[in-house]
Amino acid sequence: MTVLLVIVALSSLVLAVLLIVHAERQRTDVIRRVDRMTVQLVADSAPSVSPDDAVQRLERSLNDWRASVVDVAHEYRFRAALEAIPLGVVVVGTDQKPLFVNGAAAWFRDGRHSEAVVAHTIERLIALSGGGSTQAETVQLYGPPRRRLHVTAAPISSDETSLGTLVLIDDVTEQDRIDSIRRDFITNISHELRTPIGAMSLLAETLVGETDISVVESLAERLSREADRLAATVDDLLELSRIEHGGDIEFEPIDLQSVVSGAHDRVRAAAQQRDVEIGVSMPDKPLMVLGDRRQLTSAVFNLLDNGVKYCGSGAGVVSVRARLVDDHVELTVQDSGIGIPRKDLDRIFERFYRVDSGRSRSSGGTGLGLSMVRHIVANHSGRISVESAEGEGSTFLLELPALPPSDGEDTPDDRSGGDMDHEVSPR
Amino acid sequence: MTEAMRKTYHEELNAIRDAIVRMAGIVGELIPRGTEIFLGGDLTEAQRLIEEDDIVDAMSIELEERCYQVLALQQPMASDLRAITSALWLNAEIERSADLMCNIAKATRRIYGITIDPRVRGLIVQMSEEAARLFRLSIDSYAEGDSGLGAALRDIDDRLDELHRDTIQAIFETHQDQGYDLQAGVQLALVCRFYERIGDHAVNIGERVCYMVDGWHPEHTGAMRANARKQEHLDVDELPADD
Repeated sequence: MTVLLVIVALSSLVLAVLLIVHAERQRTDVIRRVDRMTVQLVADSAPSVSPDDAVQRLERSLNDWRASVVDVAHEYRFRAALEAIPLGVVVVGTDQKPLFVNGAAAWFRDGRHSEAVVAHTIERLIALSGGGSTQAETVQLYGPPRRRLHVTAAPISSDETSLGTLVLIDDVTEQDRIDSIRRDFITNISHELRTPIGAMSLLAETLVGETDISVVESLAERLSREADRLAATVDDLLELSRIEHGGDIEFEPIDLQSVVSGAHDRVRAAAQQRDVEIGVSMPDKPLMVLGDRRQLTSAVFNLLDNGVKYCGSGAGVVSVRARLVDDHVELTVQDSGIGIPRKDLDRIFERFYRVDSGRSRSSGGTGLGLSMVRHIVANHSGRISVESAEGEGSTFLLELPALPPSDGEDTPDDRSGGDMDHEVSPR
Repeated sequence: MTEAMRKTYHEELNAIRDAIVRMAGIVGELIPRGTEIFLGGDLTEAQRLIEEDDIVDAMSIELEERCYQVLALQQPMASDLRAITSALWLNAEIERSADLMCNIAKATRRIYGITIDPRVRGLIVQMSEEAARLFRLSIDSYAEGDSGLGAALRDIDDRLDELHRDTIQAIFETHQDQGYDLQAGVQLALVCRFYERIGDHAVNIGERVCYMVDGWHPEHTGAMRANARKQEHLDVDELPADD
């Protein structure tokens, strides 16, 4: 009788555990089998069943249950691992129906618009990989946002028995962007340095044996121009290198008005030559920042120079405005020029990046100006951003931390919004 | 109809809706892609886009067949019938939008070598973005059964119509100022028209969604007015003549 009670008690315990597991999982056949066996065990707990048989059955049930729990735990770990990896993962059976889809892949499967293109590609590659070979394709999504995805479908098998297909979706957008920057940089720097060197070589060859003094003078003049162009590129590269490494920076309190004024003086001649008007609007009171005067002047000069160069044909306008907003100073350089295509906006701060190589070279830039601006702004814990539309000009916004006002000076709130008080010498 | 048959029937209705959304996703991607090809003068990609239009055509034909099959075998009623007839309409609108992007890819060849004025380029980019936005909204309204959004598309389309007028004006101006040849000017104007038409197709999709959800197509209002006017004339004719 005692043995029977023990058996019934143990059976009830197992049943309770199984019910909990069953409620939580309710998925594996193994658990269902254990459940069935335990129910059978309770039913068989009549006096006609020998205690030894009952205990053996219970032991088998417990072993099966332990195995099922281990299987479920493994499966959960496996699923958690597949959810955690930064790839979309889809596993389909031989009937091409999904067995497992992780979160990243579900976004594509259930998505609309661009994502639907990926879903279409996944289905197509699964069908193709049914032939036993791995299939891969790169999908360019035009968005927005613009993305590039690498989709691979590989057949999976065990002991030469096909189990289905594994699909991996890898977002290679950032990787492609970095590759593209590296590739373009090598191409562009080679071009920028080789073009004047090639021209100088040809001019020197022509010069040899030339006796006509007017031709010699003309060739020498062109040689000098090419040498100047090469020197400008090398100077800019050295300057950029210095800025990038943050060397030779002398931070001091500076009034941004004097920086703008210095940059304006440097670009004035080029603006007059191109019939471009430069309008400067500054508040009456000083806009103090902590920075390196030389670097900040170089940054503002490059923005102004860029505006002047790309103002297009005919009279153009470049306007500079500065104001204090909360705890930072905003400097806006706006031009009425040809603008920048949206697809190039993310890349214009790269070294030697050209929106249109022909147009840029005719304007005489080295392709390093905006890259310098970006590094200078970073050195000053600031931000640079740009808004532009083709044919409608560009607006560069430079933000720098403002120097807190000393006692007795106006607070930022007193000055924000009270800007554009006076115009400083157009052109 | 048995339970199993009803399940299959509703599964097929859902599958048709998913197929429309899938096809629209592919066509929606053609809009920014085609614009980039056109403005970049990329002849290789233009050819690829033209060939890929065949994929959309094949999807469209398959979808049409599926709709006919449901009509013939299941004889849907009420909202199910509206869903199937709307799917047929949408299928045509989406397929036609793909054809328009195919035409823009063909225009890339026709104006190859022409430098497009930056202002016109900027306006074309804006038209493309606006057309793509309208197209996406129309598919959102369909997928979510949002008749409010569907009805609003006609007003949202006003922005694209304005851009169309501005771009045509800019083409005229640059044609005069910079001496574009007539062929290039005409092609640019046609390209603008194609974007504008994509917007119109999106509006049609929105109106069809209104019909699918509410059983009322905005053009029914016009039809009712026409019927009322006709009835008025009849009533007048039936009046006894003045002696």
